[in-house]
Amino acid sequence: MPDKAISYEELTPGYKFPPATYELSDSFVSRYLKAVDSAGDGFVPPLAITVCAIAAMTKSIPLPPGTIAIHASQELEFFKLVPIGATIECHIGVAQKIARGKMSMLILELEVFDKGNEKVQSGRATIALPT
Amino acid sequence: MLTEIQEGKALNPVVKYITQEKINLYAEASGDFNPIHVDESFAAKTPLGGTIAHGMLNLAYVSEMMTSAFGRSWLSGGKLRAKFKESARPGDTLTINGKIDCIEQKDDVSYANCSFECRNQKGETIITGEAIVKFSSGRK
Repeated sequence: MPDKAISYEELTPGYKFPPATYELSDSFVSRYLKAVDSAGDGFVPPLAITVCAIAAMTKSIPLPPGTIAIHASQELEFFKLVPIGATIECHIGVAQKIARGKMSMLILELEVFDKGNEKVQSGRATIALPT
Repeated sequence: MLTEIQEGKALNPVVKYITQEKINLYAEASGDFNPIHVDESFAAKTPLGGTIAHGMLNLAYVSEMMTSAFGRSWLSGGKLRAKFKESARPGDTLTINGKIDCIEQKDDVSYANCSFECRNQKGETIITGEAIVKFSSGRK
């Protein structure tokens, strides 16, 4: 997990969050499947992997208590099946930061790799935050 | 899974009822405890007027529809682009619909281009988007 929080102001295009490693354990996948009310099919649901990547990012940004961050859009691409129990490494970077009145649009790029360094997933998230 | 991948074919819809309990479970699984999702008294005082479901929870239902239609082809060769238009709230019934708009072929690989939307019981659009699934032509 990232061990150092940075300020929102430091999030400029090109900034890379420290990579975060997760083990996609049976208990994590079970909790996720229960939460999304789904039966599962023996593999880690791709959006459960995205959730790990987003968690790695949100835990690094010390937003003031009560800040409402709006997830405006999400792009994702899945490259390979991920078995339960696999370990993944999440890389997230700031692609763009756009000020729009009292809001800021933060565009983040994410890439997830497995233990063999093969790309599992990539994506782009747009988050709107009050400035 | 779909027995035939054809242009114009509708995907089997997914219908989900949103409860605060499900939102809380999702917060625990994802680690996203933003009070707008889990603190009813805090959320009531915001412009949103109450708690809302995580956007990624709603998007998980879209992925469920795609997995149900395309199986492993989605899990290992899927691509999506989604816009979160409105928030889903406890008490909402979400219906996710999708269809195959067109099929493209490049070399030995086919791509199903789909559109999807998630609406609540009032017909309000919660998510819209497009998805592409890569599959071998033999699967058609």
